[in-house]
Amino acid sequence: MENVLNKEIKKIIDSCPEVGRILDEYGIGCVPCSVGSCLLKDVVGIHNLDPEKEATLMYRIEKAIYPDRNVAKPVIDATKKAAPKKITYSPPVKKLVDEHVLIKRLLALIPTIADYIETSMKVDKDLVLRCVDFIRTYADKYHHMKEEDILFKYVDEKAEIIQVMYKDHDTGRGYIRQVVEGAEKGNKAQIKQNMLAYRELLTQHIKKEDEILYPWIDRQLSTTQVGEMFRRCNEADASVGEELPKKYEKFIADLEEKFLQEVVK
Amino acid sequence: MSGCPGSRTMDFSEKTAQEGSETGKRPSQLRQWPIQMHLVSPQAPYFQGKDILLAADCTAFALGDFHKDYLKGKSIGIACPKLDSDQEVYTEKIKALIDDAKINTLTVMIMQVPCCFGLAQIAKEGAEKASRKIPIKQVVVGLEGNILSEEWI
Ligand code: SF4
Ligand SMILES: [Fe+2]
Ligand SMILES: [Fe+2]
Repeated sequence: MENVLNKEIKKIIDSCPEVGRILDEYGIGCVPCSVGSCLLKDVVGIHNLDPEKEATLMYRIEKAIYPDRNVAKPVIDATKKAAPKKITYSPPVKKLVDEHVLIKRLLALIPTIADYIETSMKVDKDLVLRCVDFIRTYADKYHHMKEEDILFKYVDEKAEIIQVMYKDHDTGRGYIRQVVEGAEKGNKAQIKQNMLAYRELLTQHIKKEDEILYPWIDRQLSTTQVGEMFRRCNEADASVGEELPKKYEKFIADLEEKFLQEVVK
Repeated sequence: MSGCPGSRTMDFSEKTAQEGSETGKRPSQLRQWPIQMHLVSPQAPYFQGKDILLAADCTAFALGDFHKDYLKGKSIGIACPKLDSDQEVYTEKIKALIDDAKINTLTVMIMQVPCCFGLAQIAKEGAEKASRKIPIKQVVVGLEGNILSEEWI
């Protein structure tokens, strides 16, 4: 088992797709991941399963890879039901989770907005650019920058999971450049396709952060680091002024009013 | 059984030896004096910019590894929310620690008995009065020295 633990997850899944299916059952979504060079041991460690679950998972993986091997089945105490895990975040990380909520509200509107763009006579360039401004200023500059400049610096930045996050941020920026280009050229298909791709990417990205990455980082932070990070995030927020988040909250609320009513009509 | 659970008599002397090692000396992690909340001054140099532990009096006796696991690296104030007088002073001192001493974090450590939660309340009130915001953690210690919960509040 030792050497399997040190193998890249993508390679394991490629040679034994059953492992991907097993991981998926445990809520570990390595199969759709774009990078997949995490080592199996990190994959399991990062997800912080309770010990019994982890033992069963490892047993099933080993059985799947080496069906002929005589692997000892872990003994599970069925009377001991693991309490469902409630994620509690440290205050600075909680703030980042709260910012995801506003971003997710835009993501929820994207299909409606994309349809509207597609079916309207002339491309509503102003609307597209205002959504782009939200994404570039609030989601990227205000939120992603705190992740990249502050949060990620508290862990090993070379860790695969952090590299995946950087890559997602970059891919997202690429989609948004395409959206802008589409708006300039009046190319509806280009706008729609890239808005939807951005939505898909960020939905998965935020889920990974909320459920996996942030709790993993929180577990490594000392009390002193939590205090320091809280102060640094507050300073970063103060540098853009408290008007900025308010302005974008209003933008989303107005957008919801416009488009959710469209749906009702 | 009736009466205040905080002063109910319990005897754990039958408890069998638990895992843990008695070998090696554990140095004290205390780096200041005084420590009682009425005696400390928020202006003291040992509070400035530090991580502070606000510990209920009984916690240090209940926890086997109080120094190593919780006091280490922190400055401390101790108090009893049940028996101490003039507790408004505590609230003001917490506020001053946050605003003037600009402490980094506050960890409030209390016993599991209901009356000890008063100390967490004092910490919250002090923090609400302060204009700066800092992360506050609450640690609840069981009567037998186990950690019942540890969470940011
Ligand atoms: S209130 Fe807390 S510190 Fe005071 S006597 Fe009770 S347990 Fe001890
Ligand atoms: Fe991110
Ligand atoms: Fe994020």
